[in-house]
Amino acid sequence: MTRADPPSARPRVTAARRREWLTGYAFVLPATLIIAVFGIFPIGYAIYMSLHRWRIRKGGFIGLDNYLDVVGDWWGALAFFGGLLLIMAAHWLWTDAFRRGGGTAPLVGRLLGALVLLGSGVAVSLGWRLMTEEGDRRFLAGLTRTVYYGFGSVPVQIVLALVIASLLYQNLRGQELFRMLYFLPYVTPAVAAAAVFRQIFSPRPERPANVVLDWLGIAPQQWLFETRPVTDVLFGGLLDRLGWDLTGFWAGPSLALVTVIIFGIWTYTGYNAVIFLAGLGNIPKQLYEAAAIDGATRVQQFRHITVPLLSPVTFYLTVLGFIGTFQAFTHIYVMRSPNTRDAVDTASVVIFDTFYGRNNFSLAAAQSVVLFAIILILTLLQNRLFGRSVFRG
Amino acid sequence: MADQVAARSVPAQREPYEFRLSHLPAYVALTIGAVISMTPFLYMISTSLMTLGETINRRLLPANPQWVNYQTAWSEADFALYFRNSVIITAIVIVGVLLTCTLAAYAFARIEFPGRELIFMVLLATLMIPGTVTFLPNFLMVRGEVIPWGSWLNTLPALTVPFMATAFIIFLFRQFFMGIPHELYDAARIDGAGHLRFLTAVVVPMSKPVLMTATLLTFVTSWNEFLWPLLVTTTPRWRPLGVGLYTFISEAGPQTHLLMAGAVITILPVLVVYFLTQKQFTEGIATSGLKG
Repeated sequence: MTRADPPSARPRVTAARRREWLTGYAFVLPATLIIAVFGIFPIGYAIYMSLHRWRIRKGGFIGLDNYLDVVGDWWGALAFFGGLLLIMAAHWLWTDAFRRGGGTAPLVGRLLGALVLLGSGVAVSLGWRLMTEEGDRRFLAGLTRTVYYGFGSVPVQIVLALVIASLLYQNLRGQELFRMLYFLPYVTPAVAAAAVFRQIFSPRPERPANVVLDWLGIAPQQWLFETRPVTDVLFGGLLDRLGWDLTGFWAGPSLALVTVIIFGIWTYTGYNAVIFLAGLGNIPKQLYEAAAIDGATRVQQFRHITVPLLSPVTFYLTVLGFIGTFQAFTHIYVMRSPNTRDAVDTASVVIFDTFYGRNNFSLAAAQSVVLFAIILILTLLQNRLFGRSVFRG
Repeated sequence: MADQVAARSVPAQREPYEFRLSHLPAYVALTIGAVISMTPFLYMISTSLMTLGETINRRLLPANPQWVNYQTAWSEADFALYFRNSVIITAIVIVGVLLTCTLAAYAFARIEFPGRELIFMVLLATLMIPGTVTFLPNFLMVRGEVIPWGSWLNTLPALTVPFMATAFIIFLFRQFFMGIPHELYDAARIDGAGHLRFLTAVVVPMSKPVLMTATLLTFVTSWNEFLWPLLVTTTPRWRPLGVGLYTFISEAGPQTHLLMAGAVITILPVLVVYFLTQKQFTEGIATSGLKG
């Protein structure tokens, strides 16, 4: 509109424009103020806290000591985080760096990429070993549990959701009813659902999970109270006989943590299915018709049409799922109990406990900043690795 | 509302259904899945109607439904108070979110002012920040240790103010408002209407679907909020249902039937709202793509 005004009217326009600006600022002020005070400022303050000694009350400035307490060893942390970032470099070498050159250049790129990837793997595992020797055991163990939780629940959710969505998409009667029932866990208050899961997966023999095991002729389990790793619970006897002793990371999550993973799958599968269903609706029907004319079977159609065309949705759900994993709190906090010590404490629960249970405010702040850094790196990584290989219609 | 519902209930060129034998495996698989995913609800309802004796024996259903359990949980275990608190907190948060986010989104979509894009990008970036980083400083803040405004612990503002604006809802509204034709504003302008007038008289009535989606999303997130209310309510005075239920888990001990009645009371309002607005709800979340 202002463009249409003649130049002679400039002073008046400026006044009107200034009023327009003021209206704009006034409109965005309430929301911006709230988000700035409770969403942005706290990040700076968390960093500030992490640089002090701070147990309930603020103490002296101690620099990076809290971070050293968390990561244990600077070189270890450098190797670990550097290794994570190297994965990106490896990917770049593999796909892009030598794309221009002809002949053997791409091969050289792939070779270099593979070498760098190998190096990043070594750096990550070496760094992790150095960190766990001296670092904050509870927090680092919490990170390991978070990784178990993410890899145990997100892929299962995605696959189940894709199956449910494709079944629902065949224009079945009752599609809406099924969709509603599957979606229900997602909107259920997590505290209440976790309270119910505590009962279902209670160690008592008369509770549902153990009753089902009884039907199958299996002895009752401790479920949420079982701190032994699942490999031990499932194949303990067999492993003993073979003389294998799985320890550390490769022993897998505890049965208690697996129960928490089951909760995660139960909550998010229906949500993912609804999103997939929306994605399926966007795939042109003609593609399937053409494929059918060419004699493609249902399985081939699924493999060559549905899966690639849904890849942006899958990517989106995977990213959200893993970020959600790192933030998961309520159901885990409700399902943990003092008897299991910290068998199900993922990183976010450890942070809360450092602050709430142990009153070490500055250490909790340092832990939360480290977790934030990891989430940021993972988001970058996922964008780099999968962001472009997905099909964009 | 009525015309929307009517428009939605017209099936979108769907072929008439005919049962085919090839559909049978799909039905069986979907039914098994649905039963598994409903089991926690069925167990909760069934147990909430049992006697204490029945809960420790291996029973699937109560012999006589004990409706009195609900009465006990409601009056003796303070669930009446928690329920009232949750309703008040959620209502205030919804009104706050709708007000602040409508205003902000409108300005981001329609009013030109310096720094508009920058402010919007900064707000959007907050979506990436995990709550795990912000809760600790925020806790010190509402205790009045950062900004000297006194302690808000156990007050209504502590439970509502931090949630009264979210970047996601602003983003959602802005997308919608940008689709409203410019000509409408120009016409309103000629009639002498300013931005506020245009917003309330034209934009808001046109945006009912997206406002409804935001209301539902805010209702669910606010009702299900746990970590923050756990921190800022040390007394039952303003304790919401979720935290009340959590404290009841340790207090109730072996009284599973009362605990399950409490869980039903916590879940029921969400379920009722969900069943009433089911289509709008799922579609709103599916199209806006929010994950809590």
